Amino acid sequence: MAKNLKVPAAAKAVAAAGASGRAATAAVASRLPVVHSVPEIERQLGMLWARVEAARAETERTKEALAEGHGRAATHLSAARAAAALAAHEPSGAGERHVVARSSVLNLVVVARHHETAERCAATIVHTAGRRPSRSLILLAMDPDGPPGLEARIDALALSAATGRAETGAETIHVTARGETGMHLASIIVPLLVHDLPVALWWPDDPQFSSRRAERLAPLADRLIVDGSSWSGNGIDRLAALADLAHSRQLFVADFALLRQARWREALASVYDLPDLRPHLRAVRSIAVEYAAAQEGDPAGLTNVVRPIYHVAWLASRLGMSVVSPLQGAPGGRRVATLRQREHRVDVELRPAGSELGEGSTVRVEIVSRLRGAELVGDVTAGDRTVEVAVRDKGRERVRRTYLAPKLRDVDLLERAVEDSATHPVAVETLAMAGRLIRAEEAPRGPGQGREGGGRD
Amino acid sequence: MSPARVPSPPTPARTARQLREATGAARGRRRSEGDLNPLRQGLRLERVPDPCAFVLFGATGDLAHRKVIPAIYQLWRTNLLPAEFSLVAVARRPYSDEAFVAEARDSVAKYSRVLPIDEAAWAELAKRITYQQLDFGDDPGFDRLAKRLDELDTQRGSAGNRLFYLATQPSQVTEIVQQLGRAGLDHELRGGGWRRVVIEKPFGRDYESARHLNHELAKVLRESQVYRIDHYLGKETVRNLLVFRFGNGIFEPVWNRSYVDHVQITVAESIGVENRGSFYEETGASRDILQNHLLQLLTLVAMEPPSSFQADALRDQKLQVLRAIAAPDLEQVRRNVVRGQYGPGWVEGEAVAGYRQEPEVDPESETETYVAGCFQIDDWRWSGVPFYLRAGKRLPKRATEIAIQFKEVPLRLFRESTGDPAPNVLAMRIQPDEGIMLRFAAKVPGLGLDVRTVNMDFGYDTSFAVDSPDAYETLILDALLGDASLFTRADEVEAAWSVVTPIDAAWASMPAPHFPDYAAGTWGPEAADELIERDGRRWRRI
Repeated sequence: MAKNLKVPAAAKAVAAAGASGRAATAAVASRLPVVHSVPEIERQLGMLWARVEAARAETERTKEALAEGHGRAATHLSAARAAAALAAHEPSGAGERHVVARSSVLNLVVVARHHETAERCAATIVHTAGRRPSRSLILLAMDPDGPPGLEARIDALALSAATGRAETGAETIHVTARGETGMHLASIIVPLLVHDLPVALWWPDDPQFSSRRAERLAPLADRLIVDGSSWSGNGIDRLAALADLAHSRQLFVADFALLRQARWREALASVYDLPDLRPHLRAVRSIAVEYAAAQEGDPAGLTNVVRPIYHVAWLASRLGMSVVSPLQGAPGGRRVATLRQREHRVDVELRPAGSELGEGSTVRVEIVSRLRGAELVGDVTAGDRTVEVAVRDKGRERVRRTYLAPKLRDVDLLERAVEDSATHPVAVETLAMAGRLIRAEEAPRGPGQGREGGGRD
Repeated sequence: MSPARVPSPPTPARTARQLREATGAARGRRRSEGDLNPLRQGLRLERVPDPCAFVLFGATGDLAHRKVIPAIYQLWRTNLLPAEFSLVAVARRPYSDEAFVAEARDSVAKYSRVLPIDEAAWAELAKRITYQQLDFGDDPGFDRLAKRLDELDTQRGSAGNRLFYLATQPSQVTEIVQQLGRAGLDHELRGGGWRRVVIEKPFGRDYESARHLNHELAKVLRESQVYRIDHYLGKETVRNLLVFRFGNGIFEPVWNRSYVDHVQITVAESIGVENRGSFYEETGASRDILQNHLLQLLTLVAMEPPSSFQADALRDQKLQVLRAIAAPDLEQVRRNVVRGQYGPGWVEGEAVAGYRQEPEVDPESETETYVAGCFQIDDWRWSGVPFYLRAGKRLPKRATEIAIQFKEVPLRLFRESTGDPAPNVLAMRIQPDEGIMLRFAAKVPGLGLDVRTVNMDFGYDTSFAVDSPDAYETLILDALLGDASLFTRADEVEAAWSVVTPIDAAWASMPAPHFPDYAAGTWGPEAADELIERDGRRWRRI
């Protein structure tokens, strides 16, 4: 079955280093034959690592040949390749040997609805594997009314540090479940997890947080990875359901939509870095967020507003605000809410705007504060690669700065999502505040029925 | 599968700074509310440097162009410097602002760790760079500098905060500091801002000269204004050593004489003296590496847990370690310290000259390019545990490592095993391939009971999604933030010299050594092997 499996020697895996010259690199080293059951997948996984050990032993023999001065062996390897191959297996003392590095740090489970999504996630995982070698399961449930069954294949990933020293491995298991099998994804996932490692559940596309599938998958995961900015519609119901799920299941959530805003948060924080402006943080009077709308004025209210909501939720949670009246529609496609900070009211407004940025992208954030009659206006705008900060203090410009802050790619976002960002109190509190901000916009929910509907499993 | 979890435990500290801030928060030592920006919680920096002017003396020199300017560019590029930042380059040579900026850009393009250069970021930084020609003995020149800095406070909003970075010859440090004092540039109340001075090693060349330097600095500056930089302390793995020791509960119980057999610290360089022959002739391995890098690493391994991660609490504990190392007498130097000098040889496949054939080196030079020693720390924790330190040039490879070797098991149960398990070793690689390795015994699969030693490796490269900053970036940012914990204090410097100066003095009183005594590309003189082998141990193969 695994006859044609070729686990790479270190030299093969040593690919070009990343931009920094330090990044570990990953390559799909081998693609195993398709199998049709979980036990077969488990058997392949066992054989996979046995083969890695065999390949390493072969490299040891090459090393011995080189050490004995066998010229022919040496001529088949360039000096650099030989050095890399040897470095990866260099014993550090007499009688020692390196163990095969079973270096997974995470179980990463992807639940995709479309083949294209599964492929995109797989490509992203390959690029992140060098930094976070994981056992990845990419699950695709298709053809719900067809006959039950599954198809699975394993990609072995070879990882090598740019230095050529540490060789490690990881694997991606692609599972396509059909018919009724697709309704029981949890039963496929559990036996394939590496025990004692955290589980991240990456749910791209339009997840169904109120579905039975979510109820079954959520307990498996330590954290949930989603992208709120890619959800269909305005995303408000789904964001409310996500906040509910995080709260009820005590689940950490990493939302690409929130992670993408890191550059905004840095810029907004910088408005108050000058010590004499910091007291204004206790005297915010209004927060306005402009976002790129699908249509001018967003008359149908269909533009995804998850990112603008996160801006307000982050500011409100950091600055000790509470919700007086949640977001509600207002003329001109706007949404307004009222918050309270200490003893004063804070007006919130989300405004659709014409922009070349992608639909739902934040165009501008303006924070107005008033302290002892003096008004401070922090105005942050962004383009593809930069964020501009302007601060006006009593009508006079105090700060104007351009931050270089390119948008994050999916690879960057996934890396951040599986790092500690989801468990940070800022992320937890921002999501909780987002839930409170949008309560009034939630659609009514029937007993035992998902708001997004359709979820099985 | 997973039990219910409660969100939002504090994120585990990864760096010394995070640990310090976490500790400070836990002990209720938070800064006043007005000092903190709550929007920065969870961002890369929870504090950002104040608006300031960075005054770089020796701005046309090698250190400035290779390290300092690229580090400033990198901090700027990643938005870690305030908008109200100015770089005032100071040196003797005549330059226009434009000419200096052009040279600085070339250096960034050549030495920055992230390339290609980000032109937009550089353009913004370049607007903030000015050049000031200044002879360090020129009183009116320093007055003009003071005036220029006052103007920048108005133009750039640098608020009277100044960091003076002395990337100059060591002999110029005292003169520049005196001039800063004469021109009132040291005075923190003068402009309402802070004034800090960063100086580079060497901090003296022996105990007396170090004391003299400290005395001269103290005439002008308070100790809290002086930041003595040892770039080793800014390296990620060195900083992680603190987190590793004091952020993990499992190692502390065995981190003492009851369990540790010995400690080895190695700073190996494959390069020779490059173009620094005349400098090295005056320095040698003991002054260049042992007095600072090696002893600093030793203090971090051996120190007691500090009461907090505030700068002085940390440095107090390091100082206690240095003071617990007895100054060696002549006989102890003869027995416990080895010096060596490389002759011609082969390094990394290339023939290289011996030290005495290097440019600017005396053909009869007695300067040591290698030093190894066995040191004892006479305190409750470490009494009887030898610390073997070695450093040298033209060794087979570049490697810095701290290795803790634990004692053997008290009883060998696996007598039928074909090989005895080697003692456990915990090795912290500082460069290259930063990481931590734990060596332990494991049973070889099979029917017999064959025991082998295996390594469990942690590598920074494969574990974190972020690149480590350059040590200079870390240290410059810390100095701008007023965090001196990774800088060396005056009494630390003097305590380190009190260990090294008797060694240099003993060597000076001994007959001329038989140099060269090791070939370039080997692991040092035979005497170094004998030093450790007489104790029944051996140097680690790195």
